[in-house]
Amino acid sequence: MLQISNLSKTYPNGVQALKDVTLDISNGMFGLLGPNGAGKSSLMRTIATLQDADSGSIVFDGIDVLTNKQELRKTLGYLPQEFGVYPKVSAEEMLHYIARLKGVNNDKERNELVKALLEQVNLYNHRSKFLAGYSGGMKQRFGIAQALIGNPRLIIVDEPTAGLDPAERLRFNNLLSEIGENIVVILSTHIVDDVSELCNDMAIIAGGRVVKRGNPEGLLNEYQGKIWSKRVAKDEVAHYQQNYQLVLSKLSGGKMVVHIYSEVDPGNGFERERATLEDIYFANIS
Amino acid sequence: MFGSIFTFEVRRLLRSLSTYVYFFVLLAVTFLVALMAGGAFPDVKFDTGGDKVFANSPLVIDAFFGQINNYIGLIILVAMVGNAVLKDFKYNTYSMIFTTPVSRLSYLSGRFSASMLVTLLVLSAPAFGMMLGYAMPMVNADRIGDFALAPYVTSYLYTVIPNAIVFGTIFFAVSLISRDIFVIWLSLIVFFVANGVAGSFFGTLDHQSVAALADPMGNFAKRTITKYWSTWEKNHLLLPLKGYFLYNRLLWLGIASGIWTIGYRYFSFSAAPRRISFRKPVAAEPSKVSFIPSMFRRDSLPVVHRSFGTGALMGNLWGLAKNECLTLLRNVYFRIILLFGMLLLFLVSMQMGQIYETTTLPVTYQVVESFGGTFTLFIVILTILFGGELVWREREFRMSNITDALPVPNWAFYTSKMFGLIFMQVILVGIIMLCGILVQLSKGYTNIEPLLYVRYLLGIVLPDMVFLAILSVFVQTLVRNKYLGYFIVALFYFWNSVFAPLVLKHNLLVFSSNPAVVYSDMNGFGHSVWPYFVFKLYWGAFCLGLAGLSSLLWARGTERSLKLRITEALTSVNIRSWGLVTGSFVVFVVCGGFIYYNTNVLNDFKTNTEQEKEQVAYEKSYRKYKGIPQPKISDVKLFLDLYPSKRALHVKGSYVLVNKTNTQIDSVHVIMPGKLKVRNMALGKPYKEVYKDSVIADYRILKLESPLMPGASVSLDFDMDMVTLGFENGFSGLATPLYNGTFINNQSFLPSVGYNEQYEISDNADRKKYGLAYRPTANKINDTTAWQRNLFIHDADFVTLDATVSTERDQTAVAPGYLQKEWEENGRKFYHYKMDSKILNFYSFLSARYKVKKDVWNGVNLEIFYHPGHEYNLDRMMNGIKKSLNYYTASFSNYQHKQVRILEFPRYATFAQSFPNTIPFSEGIGFIADVNAKETDNVDYPFYVTAHEVAHQWFAHQVVGADVEGSNILSESLAQYGAIMVLEREYGEERLRKFLKIEMDNYLRSRSGESEKEKPWAYADAGQAYILYQKGGIQMHALNKYLGEDSMNTAVRRFIERFAFKGPPYPTTLDLIASIRQSTPDSLQYFVTDLFEKITIHNSKITDAKRTATNGGYAVDLTVQFEKNYADSTGKEVKATGDSYVEIGVFKNRSELISLNKYKLHQGVNRLKIIVKERPYKVVLDPRLLLIDKNPDDNEFKVGKPGELAKISRARSKH
Repeated sequence: MLQISNLSKTYPNGVQALKDVTLDISNGMFGLLGPNGAGKSSLMRTIATLQDADSGSIVFDGIDVLTNKQELRKTLGYLPQEFGVYPKVSAEEMLHYIARLKGVNNDKERNELVKALLEQVNLYNHRSKFLAGYSGGMKQRFGIAQALIGNPRLIIVDEPTAGLDPAERLRFNNLLSEIGENIVVILSTHIVDDVSELCNDMAIIAGGRVVKRGNPEGLLNEYQGKIWSKRVAKDEVAHYQQNYQLVLSKLSGGKMVVHIYSEVDPGNGFERERATLEDIYFANIS
Repeated sequence: MFGSIFTFEVRRLLRSLSTYVYFFVLLAVTFLVALMAGGAFPDVKFDTGGDKVFANSPLVIDAFFGQINNYIGLIILVAMVGNAVLKDFKYNTYSMIFTTPVSRLSYLSGRFSASMLVTLLVLSAPAFGMMLGYAMPMVNADRIGDFALAPYVTSYLYTVIPNAIVFGTIFFAVSLISRDIFVIWLSLIVFFVANGVAGSFFGTLDHQSVAALADPMGNFAKRTITKYWSTWEKNHLLLPLKGYFLYNRLLWLGIASGIWTIGYRYFSFSAAPRRISFRKPVAAEPSKVSFIPSMFRRDSLPVVHRSFGTGALMGNLWGLAKNECLTLLRNVYFRIILLFGMLLLFLVSMQMGQIYETTTLPVTYQVVESFGGTFTLFIVILTILFGGELVWREREFRMSNITDALPVPNWAFYTSKMFGLIFMQVILVGIIMLCGILVQLSKGYTNIEPLLYVRYLLGIVLPDMVFLAILSVFVQTLVRNKYLGYFIVALFYFWNSVFAPLVLKHNLLVFSSNPAVVYSDMNGFGHSVWPYFVFKLYWGAFCLGLAGLSSLLWARGTERSLKLRITEALTSVNIRSWGLVTGSFVVFVVCGGFIYYNTNVLNDFKTNTEQEKEQVAYEKSYRKYKGIPQPKISDVKLFLDLYPSKRALHVKGSYVLVNKTNTQIDSVHVIMPGKLKVRNMALGKPYKEVYKDSVIADYRILKLESPLMPGASVSLDFDMDMVTLGFENGFSGLATPLYNGTFINNQSFLPSVGYNEQYEISDNADRKKYGLAYRPTANKINDTTAWQRNLFIHDADFVTLDATVSTERDQTAVAPGYLQKEWEENGRKFYHYKMDSKILNFYSFLSARYKVKKDVWNGVNLEIFYHPGHEYNLDRMMNGIKKSLNYYTASFSNYQHKQVRILEFPRYATFAQSFPNTIPFSEGIGFIADVNAKETDNVDYPFYVTAHEVAHQWFAHQVVGADVEGSNILSESLAQYGAIMVLEREYGEERLRKFLKIEMDNYLRSRSGESEKEKPWAYADAGQAYILYQKGGIQMHALNKYLGEDSMNTAVRRFIERFAFKGPPYPTTLDLIASIRQSTPDSLQYFVTDLFEKITIHNSKITDAKRTATNGGYAVDLTVQFEKNYADSTGKEVKATGDSYVEIGVFKNRSELISLNKYKLHQGVNRLKIIVKERPYKVVLDPRLLLIDKNPDDNEFKVGKPGELAKISRARSKH
């Protein structure tokens, strides 16, 4: 459905955000995992027609995105990484406004649509309150509602759960999980759990390149049995970094735990660890 | 603590580039202004308060220094002082600073004093700019006095520093309270506008002390000190820090420290500002609900139809635009500005159309014009402000991430925003209408013309606002920063409305401009509609092009460099938009061509310089013929056809020319105004046309085959057309016939004989510029050759007149004389008028759809030809005519005609003018005056103007002065005398005082702006209206009171008897003075000299008055400080010698006199005792305002008991 080929982009300040990115994405929820500054948002914005690439192409369902932005916009739902809202505008008014802009001209139909959307994202009771007063989770749900107007076949959701508290995040992902069928949904995030919870296909992006591509199951299988862990003292971390293929080191109950990648049992007190996406993520971005 | 904050801040500011930019901008602007004032640009005229007042005189330096800092300087103050604390919030450094142990006081005072200090340094820049400008070689040396440092220093100390501290403090306090730079800008704008409007509101005499204290900039306070300063004083005196100026400075510094304290108290070291919240309650959900099964089903969403065609979008625009407009209307700042604007409208309505401090009725055009004028500024501000707001809103609120990715073409975004903005403007304009109608109703005026409101507001006000909106959005589209956009638009607007018309001159080049549109009840929008429409089409096309470009270059997406946007705009997708841009451009060019054809090909378009050069050419070509013997016109016969709807006329006629000289005349010089087309021009005796050319005027020399002997006569026949072709760049008012309300006088379309000096450049500074010789402003009074011709008409003495005037069927045409016959022919009306006695060769023709009010006075027919609907003051005018005829016939001589007619003409000019038995009277003065008969505070000026004009039937039409200096006294001052006496008889001395007080103020202010030199009354020039009318009226009235009414009127009567209908030679002021002296006792001869021969200015006061009870009455002991000065032509004063008689009145209460007598006073301190019967309340020196006194307010003193300390609080006059 969505073919991204050899996409490169360098900003005027010299930062090369995308380096020869090629991805082929089909229907379903696609996770784009990467650390801050990896180029996720640049890629998302380029797909969402908000900026141009230096070279390469993006084709969605026969639409050349870079040259025919207007056509893609008609079938796009976009929830940006961060968006603000106008002061003194209610969710209902804002949805009406966007619905108009998305070509929903019939007043009656638009009323029904807005009402249904508000109900479905659980904002109906708050529909006449100003958006500026919404909590983070409510705002993101509003964001999804506006993205869904006009029956889009491509939905781009850029870092939606950043900054949400655990309950809000759960609720939001719960909502998100329902929309991924039969259309392309691209979810970019740096939270590994989002991807493992929601996506059937994914890529890890770092330094502007795609460094890993596959479905979460497959990738886990690939790494299964090759991750080993050990509790160590803080000052020993450097030692392990030198001698092993260190995936990550983290605190656990005040002590350090290191994860290493090894095809064979490294011995030396390491225990086999069940591989998680987190391990795969760290293994690929370092 | 304070020290380190202070020095850190000062260093930071001194390192900052913007500090130097501000300094340089101020320096550059002042430098330019100084060059302009110094006359470095010949085309730019700059009024420094009199042509002889140096551009670097202390007052002018103070004005420039103060005003530039009051405008640009205030903006710098906001940026520097207003931001001194705000920047900590902007850059989020507050959390670090507020958590250090620094005290609030040292933090705030450190920041404040550091930014204030650096700003004060910056604000010294204008001084250097001026010094530099005045030292430039290209300035005109005549405009510059010797360099002195003191004016710069005093201005900096008294004006610049206090103002900066006051405003810096206010901005600082506002920043502490609101923590929002926008609010500071808003307060600045509100201040600017309020100050401007309050200025006009408090400009009246009664309010001047309030205004002097209330104005934080001190301008009004300075004005109370300097308003009567003469040229000499302006050039030599430093502005003293005393009186109201001193109180003002102290008051405002006090207020400022109070405000600082409030700001300090209010401010706390916390992240969130204390603020009143307008927000709705915040929505929140409990976070413990960890999981609700989602009920979300994408499939269950209703199916909607979507359409993206242009048509569908158009249909949607309404909704989108409404949305945009609503967001504007919800804006708190919008509401504040709006409320404020409405408040000002109501303030303005209280002073509407004031003449002699008397308002006009709230007729619709008056209301809509004055409200439109005031409120337009608010619409401009709101348009610029919200134009930027709309463009930047998505980006500022980070909404653009969503909206930019929506399937909407740029033009739809653009159009919806533009329409939103225009909606807002329509609403604002609607508010003008609403307020206008409210004001009309509240004043009990019910003739509301809603259609006129709509036509004026939507037709005249709105288009300019829409163009401004388009321009402002265009600029905002291009720039990278909203504030930069504001700055550019505001700067452009200022340039375009103030300087562009001066520099670019042609309306084709000045954005959004057009020939003026003047509404008149008589003539409607008249002939100004069509050119207005063409010009608006021209600028409209230009703006449509801009709109197309704006939508093509609309910033979208995350990368918004202009280069990228241009590349994007050039892609073929946008073919339609480019089509629009090209189409607009074509219309723009075609319209421009059409306009050029009309203004510059069909009509003459001349800049001032071009005009002056033609005048120079005229003078150089023909002045050699000045003074050669020429015959004079003795009989005039005219057939004049007026074509109001074509704005054309045809005139056929003949003069009889008589050789009144004692030499032979061999050729006749005929001059005609240049815009006439001559069909035929011939002498009645054999002649040859030996010269014919046209520089400004058509100049012909007709050489007679046999010379005209003394006493012989010859006829001059002419046949000419005046046609109006297309339209001009400027508004042409009364110059040509009008659709309704033609008023045209013979000098503007009939030939004159002999060289005519009126076409020469009269201003001597300009003459010098073109190398022409100095031209005296008038002939010397003893120039006996000039006695041979009268002041007004050089080519005739008294003439007979026979005029047949025709006009369109629904109009009435009027000419001087008596109607002999009236008939209709070929669908046109014809009127034959004939004068029964000889008149000056100066008469007018009027034609309009008139109604007539008739009356009779002692066999004299009285008629007022007026515009239906303008009945309001007809009775006052009629009464004015009668009372005038009563007084003048009883006091001076018989009335020479059998009718008096007043004729209304459109308000394109606001005067009344007296022709023989015919008085054209502008609809703008008098016809719509709102005179309140009971209120003592207003002047019945319809009555007064009528009396003045009727008096001209004597003074101008019975006696007319010779062509020498001072002769205008014989017409204007004497007419003023008559009018004042009639006014006094009708309304009493009490109400006359109000009038005299205004006239006194007017005289003293005007002499302060004298451009050549002030002459004593007897020698006043025609251009010195303030001497002829204001001073003339006051002094004639004084003579009446000093000599007694009978003696004075005998003197005038004697003068009339000797000179009426005689000439040449014509009388001069010397003849009038002689007649007055004949009626003056020896003891008062000095007084006649003081009035006529000297410029006498008093500055007297009463310094003490005490009463003692005597048997049967009271004795008042008073001390009078008598000061009488003689001023020279520059206003330099010397003390007069000799005793004077001055009236002193004793009052038993505020207004009732118990004693009024003349007392002999000498210069300096006089002690007097006045015995009165009743208990005295106050004493007043010269209570009837007979003497010119610079400060009449201190002429009153409340009488105290003996032993009481002299009270400083003098009884302030309420009259």
